[in-house]
Amino acid sequence: MSDSTEIMLDEEVVVAEIDSEPDSEEGAGKLSGQRLLESEGDAAADYLEALLDITDLDGDIDIDVEGNRAMVSVVEVKAGDLHLLVGDDGEVLDALQELTRLAAARETGERSRLMLDIGGHRAARRAALVEVAKVAIEEARKSGEPVQMAPMTAFERKVVHDAVAEAGFISASEGEDPKRYVVIMANQPNLG
Amino acid sequence: MLEEALAHLVRGIVDNPSDVFVSEREQRRGKCLDVRVHPQDMGRVIGRAGRTATALRTVVTALNEGRGVRIDFLDVAER
Repeated sequence: MSDSTEIMLDEEVVVAEIDSEPDSEEGAGKLSGQRLLESEGDAAADYLEALLDITDLDGDIDIDVEGNRAMVSVVEVKAGDLHLLVGDDGEVLDALQELTRLAAARETGERSRLMLDIGGHRAARRAALVEVAKVAIEEARKSGEPVQMAPMTAFERKVVHDAVAEAGFISASEGEDPKRYVVIMANQPNLG
Repeated sequence: MLEEALAHLVRGIVDNPSDVFVSEREQRRGKCLDVRVHPQDMGRVIGRAGRTATALRTVVTALNEGRGVRIDFLDVAER
């Protein structure tokens, strides 16, 4: 029995230092809310800036907070300049986002969910998806049947869910990654 | 440039950035980059189900204009 007792992990707890006024007792010693998102954005920008420097690529970095996420965008100076860092299907962008999240997490000590966009790829993809979602919502409305959409990444499903919610409909995700897809429910929720 | 870019990408995500060394080898099939990291950072650079290692390969291959690059991860003590 004693063999199966819990093993204490001697993981170091990384406590981010805050150099200005301390937060309320609840968040003492930890970055929280807006400040956490800002320092995530700053860490991400440093990481990407140095990469652009090494690779001799031109780009301007914008940091923003969207909802409860840090949003970091590398803006092209000349259209197409950064296609290399996006890839044909955005696969390089996704890989860079993953690495940038890890770099930000190392700085803040908290897991990062930041969004990275490069050359407006996600913004364009989002606009296109919203159009696709509109067509599907219309179909659900007309047919009165649920409409199943094509498999999408988590980011893409989020865009569709948001568009569906904005149209006053309800949607759900079904299936398993990488085949997970959105279903738009036919009935408009009773808002009364 | 590839070596430097990879070293930067790895240094940013590990606990012991000064223990990161990247060297390049030419192989019959193309480039191979050896990445040496602190033993405690090995899990970091590989990631759950190899996710981080895959992300590093994807980015480095893109920077090499789509020509595949092999990346081997080694403990800094290995020769």
